[in-house]
Amino acid sequence: MKEAQALKGHLDTLLLAVLDSGPRHGYAVIEALREDSGGRFDLPTGTVYPALHRLEHAGLVTSTWSVVDGRRRRTYGLTPAGQAQLHTERATWRDFAATITSLLEPAPCPATS
Amino acid sequence: MPGNQLIDAYLARLAGRLPADALDELADGLTETYRHHLANAADPRTAARRALREFGSVEEIATAFTIQSPGRRAARMLLATGPAVGAAWATALVLGHAWHWPVPGPARLVFGLLLLLVVAALATAAAGRSHYARTRAAVIAGGVGLLALDGAVLVSGVLAAPAVAWPLAAAACASLARIGFTLRTIPRIISS
Repeated sequence: MKEAQALKGHLDTLLLAVLDSGPRHGYAVIEALREDSGGRFDLPTGTVYPALHRLEHAGLVTSTWSVVDGRRRRTYGLTPAGQAQLHTERATWRDFAATITSLLEPAPCPATS
Repeated sequence: MPGNQLIDAYLARLAGRLPADALDELADGLTETYRHHLANAADPRTAARRALREFGSVEEIATAFTIQSPGRRAARMLLATGPAVGAAWATALVLGHAWHWPVPGPARLVFGLLLLLVVAALATAAAGRSHYARTRAAVIAGGVGLLALDGAVLVSGVLAAPAVAWPLAAAACASLARIGFTLRTIPRIISS
């Protein structure tokens, strides 16, 4: 449960990361989130759609409509602003993770003579 | 539509609360989820139940869409900036002795009533949590009312003020900025 909440807190970045490899429709985005998180992503999947809409209104993703099997399908892709945002988020996350890791990992024992 | 009674009923409940585009998108995702479970050897009823459980309740979906809707964000922005614009006009009106301006009493009354209605509409939109369409209608009504208020006060200031002083100019700039924001935002909310 804690993991799911932590993932939810980073949902925007995770969505941008999933779209980095190319445009996907909503269900494909959800599948990628689930697979790439090793099944830990267990938010109600219907709530991912409004998050994608919010990213679109922020100019970070763009969407196009098509018709598949008689159904309307919306496919999302990253905008240049979205790619820049993802780049920034990745760098920030790496710095943060390195800092926390260096604090949490036990320091090697000093050599004794 | 997937043609499954449970899923059709679920989408019908969402239909009254979400825009058509959002509903089409959810129907597509739900159909894919249903097919995924159906392919994993579940019978249609079980597959539909699993797909709906995975998707979330109608309330969860409607709330997620409403909370993140552009209309709700715009309403909060207009409410947050309202006191600053109001203070600018209050300063300009007090320093300009606006009570001597030739504005008819009924017009002042209509202005005051419209202001109350606009604040109520924007507050309704800003507080909306689970009814997307109602939130959108409230912010559109509030935004249009705000355009009328800003327009009225600008025209009154230009026509009735004996001279243009800097507080009046500052208040006019604040109103023009808000008019610009509202005119840009309302079409996006209508199309959302």
